Order: sequence, then C-alpha cells, then structure tokens
Amino acid sequence: MNAERWIERELARLNAHLPARRITLAEALRSERPHVVGRDGSIHEFDRGELELLANMLPEGEWNGLFLPILISFDPKLGRGTAKITGEMEVKVVGRLLGKKCAGEELLVYLPEITVLRKKLPTLTQYFFMV
Amino acid sequence: MAAPMAISPTRMELIKLRKRISLAQRGHDLLTEKMDALVIEFFEILKRVRRARADALTQLATAHRALSICLALVGTIETRQASIEARREIQLEASTRHVMGIETPALRIEGAERRVLERGYGIHFTSSALDDAAREFEKALGLLVELAELEESMRAIARELEKTKRRANALEYIIIPRLKATIKFIMMRLDEMERENFSRLKRIKAMLGAGA
Amino acid sequence: MSYKIAVIGDADTVTGFSLAGVRHVHVHVSKEETLSKLRRFLMEGDVGLLLITHRVIEDLGEDFKLLMRTKGVLPVVLAIPDKTGYAPAVDELYELIKRAVGARVTEKIGGD
Repeated sequence: MNAERWIERELARLNAHLPARRITLAEALRSERPHVVGRDGSIHEFDRGELELLANMLPEGEWNGLFLPILISFDPKLGRGTAKITGEMEVKVVGRLLGKKCAGEELLVYLPEITVLRKKLPTLTQYFFMV
Repeated sequence: MAAPMAISPTRMELIKLRKRISLAQRGHDLLTEKMDALVIEFFEILKRVRRARADALTQLATAHRALSICLALVGTIETRQASIEARREIQLEASTRHVMGIETPALRIEGAERRVLERGYGIHFTSSALDDAAREFEKALGLLVELAELEESMRAIARELEKTKRRANALEYIIIPRLKATIKFIMMRLDEMERENFSRLKRIKAMLGAGA
Repeated sequence: MSYKIAVIGDADTVTGFSLAGVRHVHVHVSKEETLSKLRRFLMEGDVGLLLITHRVIEDLGEDFKLLMRTKGVLPVVLAIPDKTGYAPAVDELYELIKRAVGARVTEKIGGD
C-alpha cells in the first residue's frame, strides 16, 4: 500500500527539476543570465562557455532550432544503459561532440557516450526519465 | 519464497495485483536507470574534487610558507596585530544549485573580493612580506571555497545514490517477490475453487440423473 | 544571499586567514570553548562556510561528529590541514566512494 505511494512519489520526483519550457540557443546567447526554470520552481543556469561551444558548432541561422537543455532520455523500453536524444539540431550537435556524424530526429546513446556528453555540457544537458 | 499477502482470492484482486506488480516493475527499471545516471555524475564530480583538492592544498601550503617568512621578518606580534586590523571582511555568496533534482549549495566569493583574487593584488599593508602572506591566503581561500562546493555536491550525489539503491533493492527483493507470491497463491486458489465447483456440479447432475 | 566565512584552527591558520579577510575566527585551546564556538558558527545562520583543521576535528572527537549530523545545509564545513600538512589516515572521500558505489568498483578507480 504505502509501497505504491512511494513508487509514485519517486517517479514524480524524477523529472520535477526539468524545465516547463526550454529555450533556444539563440535566446540563451542573447540573455544576460541564460537559464531555465524547473517545474519545481528551481532555477537552472546555463554556462556561457558551453553555450559558445555550441554556437561555434552551428551556423547562426540554426541557433533558434536548437532547444536547451538537451534532454538525455532514459526509457526502460530501450534496455538498461541506453538513452535517446531527440530533435534534428540536438542530434547533429550531440553527434559532433561524440565525434561521429549523425543525422535524423533520434539518436541512441550509451553510458560511456553519456559520460562524455555530461562532461562536455554539464549545464546544457539534463536527464529525463520516461515514466 | 516470499510470503503471500493476506488478500481474498478473487479475480478482482488478481487484476489489481497485476497492475501493482507492473507499477513496481516500472518503478524498479526507472530507479535502476536513475542509479546509472547518478554513478556517471558521481565519478565525474569525483575527478573534479580530486583536482580541486590538489590545487587548494598546494596553494594552502604555499600560503603557510609565506606566513612563516612573514612571521620571521615582520615579527609574530606585529603580524598577529596586522591580522586583526579592521579591514573589509570577505563575503561569501551562497545559493542553491540543482543537479538532477538534488539540491546542493553553490558558493562564490562575492564581487569585489573575487576580482581582487583574480587580479592577484589588493591594497593591503606597507610591508611586502605581510602583503605576500595576505595574498597567498586570499588565493587559498578562493580555491578552498570552490573545493567546499564540489565536496558538498559530491556528498549529496552519494547520498542520493545510496537512497536510490536501497529503494531499487526494496522493490527487487521484497516488494516484487511478495506480489508475485500473492499472485501465484490467488491463481492456485481460484483454480482450486473452480475445480471444486466443477466436481460439485457433476455430482448434482449425477443425482438428478439418478433420480429421474 | 550573503554569508560570512569562519575559521577554527591553530594560531597560524587563524592569522593567515585573518590576513585574507576572514573575521569570524577561533583559535583552538580548550575543547569546551571550541565546541561552543563551533555551535555558534553552525547555528546562527550567518556563516556560509566553515574551515576547520583536521587536528581540531580529531580533538573534538564524537561531539564534532554529532554536530555535523545535526547541522543544516549551511554552513558548508571543510576540513583543512594546518601548516604541518597533517591529514588523517582515513580518507572520508574513499569511504564515501566505497559506500556509494560498492567495493568492487573502487579497485578499478584506485589509480585514477
């Protein structure tokens, strides 16, 4: 009985820090204090160095096609140790950071690659757990 | 095997139980993935802590050496006196940071002092030995603030990792097996009851047939 | 929000950090006095960071551990070596890793 309640509470907590609204790379670069607001009210600030790293990887025209933070989505259906990146711009940028050429709307990434991604973009990536 | 729960063996209960085990299964999978993510975060921040620690402790040692020189050249009493002199007190800016939904403090030396630290000089004392000691300790302070923030984040991640592990284990080794055992028990009982029903009906039929 | 930094240690440690602009300081002499100063730094809410030397922590023993368990999020407490560079044999970091991740993994990261 209370087991169910804490499972549900735990699952609700998993994604509470994620932003209700993500912002584009263009918006973030324009802002003096680039950040997003989590659904739990927390403020998550973006590091300018990381933003510039991304800006240098994409032509300026594409800056408003990339939404931040980039979500690393875990879905149990994918199997343990596998996550997904979605979005054409996101896939492109993540591919470059991992040193491989990627295109398309979706990209699967594995734990060692996730480690690299989190190291290079600590404030611009967040985990998302698909319930 | 886990002991089944005390639940009346009905089909309704069976359906409810199957839903519960599915939720528990889902919960377990997700907690396991959360653990995987936390382990990644933990090792990354551990690397940063080790580096920050090495840097801060090296600088602290340097600062103490500068202080020893100062105590020798300027004198102990004068140095201690200079240290109590009314000077601008260094302020710390603290806010909360969220890493994966975990709250940790973010620490920063405030404004003007930080710029002084970065530049490497400020107007201190007339004696250069005192100035050196002050400067080295200011640098050390800046690095120690960074180290403190990182160590605290690391502790927070470690705590969350342990908590998550315990919950995943509770699901895997206690809750799910108990639900499975209960489902098994109910299915057995339902089967039994169906067989009892069936043989009762047969007997009734036989009785009716005989009495015809 | 603005906070202060506090330091508890031997005379040299305190002098050094005072020169750097720390005003909330305490030179450790007696256990009772230091514990009471420590409590003040932990409870009064204006201290954001407390630096304290390993030697003093060892001197304070269990009382220190108890205060650490009951303190709030702030101040952050950081143990530092004094001028002798003394640090305890048991590294809290290593213990933390073992507990969090499991003994098997620590063998792998030993030489990191």
